[in-house]
Amino acid sequence: MSNIVLFEDIFVVDKIDPDGKKFDKVSRIEARSQNCDMYMLLDVNTEVYRMRIGDKFTMALAHTLNLDGTPDTGYYTPGGRKSLADKYEYVMHGKLYKISDEGSGKHLKAEIYVSYGGLLMMLKGDPSYITQFELDQKLFLLMRKL
Amino acid sequence: MSGTEIMKAAEVQVHLGRYYQNNKVPFEGGLLDPRMGPANKTCVCATCHGDFGDCPGHYGYFNLALPVYNVGYMTTILDVLKCICKSCSRILLDEKISKEFLKKMRNPNMEGMVKKAVAVLGIIHDRSKVTDGSLEECKSAIFHTKESKASFNVATYILNPIKVLYLFKRMTAEDCEMLYLSERPEKLIITNIAVPPIAIRPSVIMDGSRSNENDITERMKNIIQVNASLRQELLEANAAFRCLAGWDTLQFEVAQYINSDVRGIPFAMQASKPLSGFVQRLKGKQGRFRGNLSGKRVEYTGRTVISPDPNLKITEVGIPIRMARILTYPERVSHHNIEKLRQCVRNGPDKYPGARMIRYPDGTARALIGKFRIRYADELKYGCIVDRHLEDGDVVLFNRQPSLHRMSIMCHRARIMPWRTLRFNESVCNPYNADFDGDEMNMHVPQTEEARTEALLLMGVQNNLCTPKNGEVLVASTQDFLTSSFLITRKDMFYDRADFSLMCCYMGDGMDIIDLPAPAILKPIELWTGKQLFSVLLRPHASMRVYLNLTVKEKTYSNKLIRTEGDEEIRIETMCPNDGFVYIRNSELISGQLGKATLGNGNKDGLYSVLLSDYNPHAASVCMNRLAKLSARWIGNHGFSIGIDDVQPKKELSDKKGKLISENYEVCNVKIKEFNEGKLHLKPGCDPAQTLEAVLTDLLNRIREDAGKECMKGLPWRNSPLIMSQCGSKGSPINISQMVACVGQQSVGGRRAPNGFIDRSLPHFQRKSKAPAAKGFVANSFYSGLTATEFFFHTMGGREGLVDTAVKTADTGYMSRRLIKALEDLFIHYDNTVRNASGCVVQFLYGDDGMDPAQMEGKSGDPLNFGRLLMKIEATCPARGHKYLAPQEISKMVEKQVAGYGMNPDKTCSEAFINSLRKFFESRQDKLEQKIKLIEDFCGDRKSEILEKVAHKISGITETLLEVFMETCLSRYRLKKIEAGTAIGAIGAQSIGEPGTQMTLKTFHFAGVASMNITQGVPRIKEIINGAKRISTPVISAELEFDDNENSARVVKGRIEKTILGQVAKSIKIVMTARKAAIVIALDMETIEDAHLCINADIVKESIIQTPKLKLKQQNITVLDVRKLEIVPSVVKSKIHFELNSLKKVLPMVIVKGIKTVERAVIAEKEKEKKKVNENEKLKKKYRLLVEGTGLLAVMGTDGIDGRKTKSNHVIEVHQTLGIEAARICIIDEIGETMKHHGMSIDIRHMMLLGDLMTFRGEVLGITRFGIQKMDKSVLMLASFEKTADHLFNASVNGRDDKIEGVSECIIMGIPMPIGTGILKVRQRDVVPPLLSYEGPNPIIS
Repeated sequence: MSNIVLFEDIFVVDKIDPDGKKFDKVSRIEARSQNCDMYMLLDVNTEVYRMRIGDKFTMALAHTLNLDGTPDTGYYTPGGRKSLADKYEYVMHGKLYKISDEGSGKHLKAEIYVSYGGLLMMLKGDPSYITQFELDQKLFLLMRKL
Repeated sequence: MSGTEIMKAAEVQVHLGRYYQNNKVPFEGGLLDPRMGPANKTCVCATCHGDFGDCPGHYGYFNLALPVYNVGYMTTILDVLKCICKSCSRILLDEKISKEFLKKMRNPNMEGMVKKAVAVLGIIHDRSKVTDGSLEECKSAIFHTKESKASFNVATYILNPIKVLYLFKRMTAEDCEMLYLSERPEKLIITNIAVPPIAIRPSVIMDGSRSNENDITERMKNIIQVNASLRQELLEANAAFRCLAGWDTLQFEVAQYINSDVRGIPFAMQASKPLSGFVQRLKGKQGRFRGNLSGKRVEYTGRTVISPDPNLKITEVGIPIRMARILTYPERVSHHNIEKLRQCVRNGPDKYPGARMIRYPDGTARALIGKFRIRYADELKYGCIVDRHLEDGDVVLFNRQPSLHRMSIMCHRARIMPWRTLRFNESVCNPYNADFDGDEMNMHVPQTEEARTEALLLMGVQNNLCTPKNGEVLVASTQDFLTSSFLITRKDMFYDRADFSLMCCYMGDGMDIIDLPAPAILKPIELWTGKQLFSVLLRPHASMRVYLNLTVKEKTYSNKLIRTEGDEEIRIETMCPNDGFVYIRNSELISGQLGKATLGNGNKDGLYSVLLSDYNPHAASVCMNRLAKLSARWIGNHGFSIGIDDVQPKKELSDKKGKLISENYEVCNVKIKEFNEGKLHLKPGCDPAQTLEAVLTDLLNRIREDAGKECMKGLPWRNSPLIMSQCGSKGSPINISQMVACVGQQSVGGRRAPNGFIDRSLPHFQRKSKAPAAKGFVANSFYSGLTATEFFFHTMGGREGLVDTAVKTADTGYMSRRLIKALEDLFIHYDNTVRNASGCVVQFLYGDDGMDPAQMEGKSGDPLNFGRLLMKIEATCPARGHKYLAPQEISKMVEKQVAGYGMNPDKTCSEAFINSLRKFFESRQDKLEQKIKLIEDFCGDRKSEILEKVAHKISGITETLLEVFMETCLSRYRLKKIEAGTAIGAIGAQSIGEPGTQMTLKTFHFAGVASMNITQGVPRIKEIINGAKRISTPVISAELEFDDNENSARVVKGRIEKTILGQVAKSIKIVMTARKAAIVIALDMETIEDAHLCINADIVKESIIQTPKLKLKQQNITVLDVRKLEIVPSVVKSKIHFELNSLKKVLPMVIVKGIKTVERAVIAEKEKEKKKVNENEKLKKKYRLLVEGTGLLAVMGTDGIDGRKTKSNHVIEVHQTLGIEAARICIIDEIGETMKHHGMSIDIRHMMLLGDLMTFRGEVLGITRFGIQKMDKSVLMLASFEKTADHLFNASVNGRDDKIEGVSECIIMGIPMPIGTGILKVRQRDVVPPLLSYEGPNPIIS
């Protein structure tokens, strides 16, 4: 299990659409994690999964949904198998496309950028949480409201 | 030809000026004598017995009673006469000098005037000016009567043709050679006329007994008649005077026979409908040279209306069946196609896949009309040629006029379709500049396999996706395709499985293999995004190895700054809230809403450009096809239209607009009030009226823009015009603003509406009103409706636009033609030089690096875009497992690789390229070092290894990556070299000529400083290309030695600008005392001091003396003290009063200081350099001088000017002051600057070539008929350009021969030209080499 999930934490939504509402069905949420002090920007399809300010949710990043840890093929394989997704309400699939850094000295932070078919995520935090991520990695984002 | 030669060549002597006898049989010895060829189809040639089709025609002749001049050679005759003695026919030179000259073959000096008689075709020998002793017998008489009017008659007499003929006959061969005459000069005078064969002057018999004769025949008839009457008159002994008149008439008739619009014909002789002469047949656009020899009518062509069809591939063209049935292709019957062709033959010419003709190997041919088709089909054998109908996949050329560049005619594959239009994919509209509002296009079918292959490879759409103008893609998605891509890739476009799969099928007609990607949202429901659809479009299945990597900033990109890191600015990039940053990584659309910047033409980092340079034309075209199909079908389902509600502003918006307009009106009124009270703060170099205009125009123009911005913000995202404007498919914010909010300021000739009435534009307004509405500001929108006056102003602006386009087309067309004619024969030889047809080197290495401008990837014409390439390679070569390089190792590796590839002996890579590569890596290395330092700062003691890994992940380079990168760079660089044989001249000419047509004729613009007009657009390009001696706005931009001090700039300005006496004089008074009368000038020293001019009385004195008109001498002027001087004119006392007064008037205009040729100088602030100077708190302004006028040398020599950095925009002046190389640079810079100003980028190599061509002779040659003449061009080329007859006559006099090596000549002669694929010549050994026989024992093969 732990080797499937690369990162997991509980976030609280701070803001919705910080730059104004631009799209009907998609909103950008700004959230902060409770344990690892991570900062996250995430585009969420609010039509199928509503988000409000102050919502608390747990978010996990996994590289596969298969519970046995077999890597994901990247292609669509429908079928009612048991998977990691069963435990979550909102699941997206995407690709990590950029790793960068911010700040200097003691305030150095690392950032990872993931695109879930155009719905973007930016996760910023202590570099040590970032080490297990690789460029071009397929990632699943799993969310469940608390 | 001389008279006897003509007689020898002719078959018949013509003596009758008549055509047919009553029974329609031509007269013997008449103008249509059958011995000169058959007059019509019923006759047979009496000389060769050929019929109308076969007989080539034969000449006739007739004698003239008296010789006449040949008008074509009039100037030559004149020149020869100028050079010879009018009594002994020798050249007017000493024996010795003449021998020297003979050696040099140069024209001698002129002595003894001969001039062309005005209004008469004749030559007058004007001896009145010969005053030396050479004409003894006249001398005394001339002296006596010199002053009187009678002398003219005595001194001049008309040299008649007989006299001239006599003189010419006595000329020695040596003298002829010296005068550069290749033939005897007497041949310049006509004694016998050759009657041309009937074949070139056909006679058409009309119904009844009348016949319609050619102009030449009719003219011949006139000549014969005049000649006959003249001969009659000659026989009557004492009719000398009358015969002179007849002689003149004959001269005129013969002159008009050759050139019917020769000058000097008396009015009575001019016919109402002029008969055209030989010269008229040759010259002009419809003449023989341009109309029949350089461009010919062709068969196998079609033309009809065009219409769009997104279902066609970009390489295809839909041809209507009707057309396909008429156009044929001769296909040779072989084993593979016999069955198909048999069916074609059976179908015959009328049923579609049919055929029109069979040609058999023995040369016979059968048309397939009639009943025997089935038999012919069965008898069809291998080797026959069947002219079959056009079928799918045939190669056709497709063209739209005006053919301004080579992409105006491209090769498509045929696709036979029903209905009546030619159809093609909208993506190919751009190169043809076609739209579907009724445009027609032409189609040609190449008739041989060779032609097909060449057409496909050289002109194929796939091979012409890029324009050689600047290397941008031209064939790209347009209009609807952009709109639908924009909508599909919106962030909130989600599809369920059925929709997504359907859409995937749209792009390949459901026939392609497609790997369905995993949905972006798996839970709560499976949803795919539009971006995923696009990723599928780019790479439908896993076995397709296209990994596209690019980043583009779309129009909607917000460009928000997140933070700065050192001197680097981190932008928001992919996280842009508008989703305007397009990032495609390994063919997966990561972010960004696609628009014109990515998919459209005119962007070197766009999707198709990248596909084309990283992969191949096929990848790009397949992608375009898929997008065309997908978007056409998607938008068909989605629906996209525009209605009245799209242009209805919401209340908020109209309120905002109202506020905006009233606020600005307020400001305008304040300014006008200030102006009326004279309180307006002036702009540098402007008077109050100009300043007011500038301020108001600026304000009013801004209203529309601001309104546009409001609209873009205020309209809902579903608004169709807004969508179109955002994605770039059609329309701009200004267009939306005009529909929704405010039409804005109308301008005529670059200023506000002019006054059509006294002091006002329309009688609806107050006199002298400067208010916005009175000067053409339209506050309403098209939706709200214009008031009457607004409408009128709008039409004024509209008309100007229409007139502009009409004028512009003619202007630029002629410019393109001249450019082409000048550059057509330049091409690249195998030694990389650019030479013209006669082998004269124009450039030693094309564009200084020998690269192909069509394949340049960098924005400014650099061969490669390293940043993008590295990004691609980083993405495609993942670092997994490979060792990262330490920063110091990178440069070592680079050097190693460079040594391996670049520095090999044949120097495949230029030094500049290697250096740019090194520079790129240096910056990269610095970055990595910085990052590692950051990490070290951060961790200090903690688990640094892991953290270093992170640093590397951020900006590390592995060894393999570097290797791959270098290899790609260098190998790709080598592929981008230009090929030998490329007709780079023609390409260059088109690249400069074609953008000209897009330039609006708007002539002036403000060059930073107000009211400093600089000619721009087509007129400016014309000036540069013509090499004009006088240009309309010469400007010298002078750099100052101390450019940060405005005061010193002002001092220098004072030195340059001319100061007239009136400006610095306190008074110029006439002082009359008892003893003398004088003018006393007192200088205003305060003003002089203020302006930092060093002027004193001595300087003023000098400058007065040097002013030639005043005719004042040293002794007239006395300096009284530093500020006073006195002028005493030296004239008689009685006149002195007048003299003084006139002097007083002129004196204030005397230039005391400055450069005469300079109009004025303006101090201009330099454009702020965008580097971070603002850190130094005070941004130091830098100044330079803009000097209007000429006089570069004087400006450069002025104290305080840095002559090394001073430039002028006057090419000729730069040449005179700084030399030919400077002139070349000036041409290149000026053309580039003008083009850039109109937002057009042209590869610098084209401009270099033009600059080199204009200067390679050591003087600046304009691209005009005079300049082109000097670029050693052949006679035929010059004749086909301009002044056809003059060039031909001169060439015949001088005996020029044409080697037929240029482009024009080869086209005229109908032979392949030695350019491009014609550069190769295969030599075959004529003698068969002897068979080598091996003598001796059989060789043992082991």
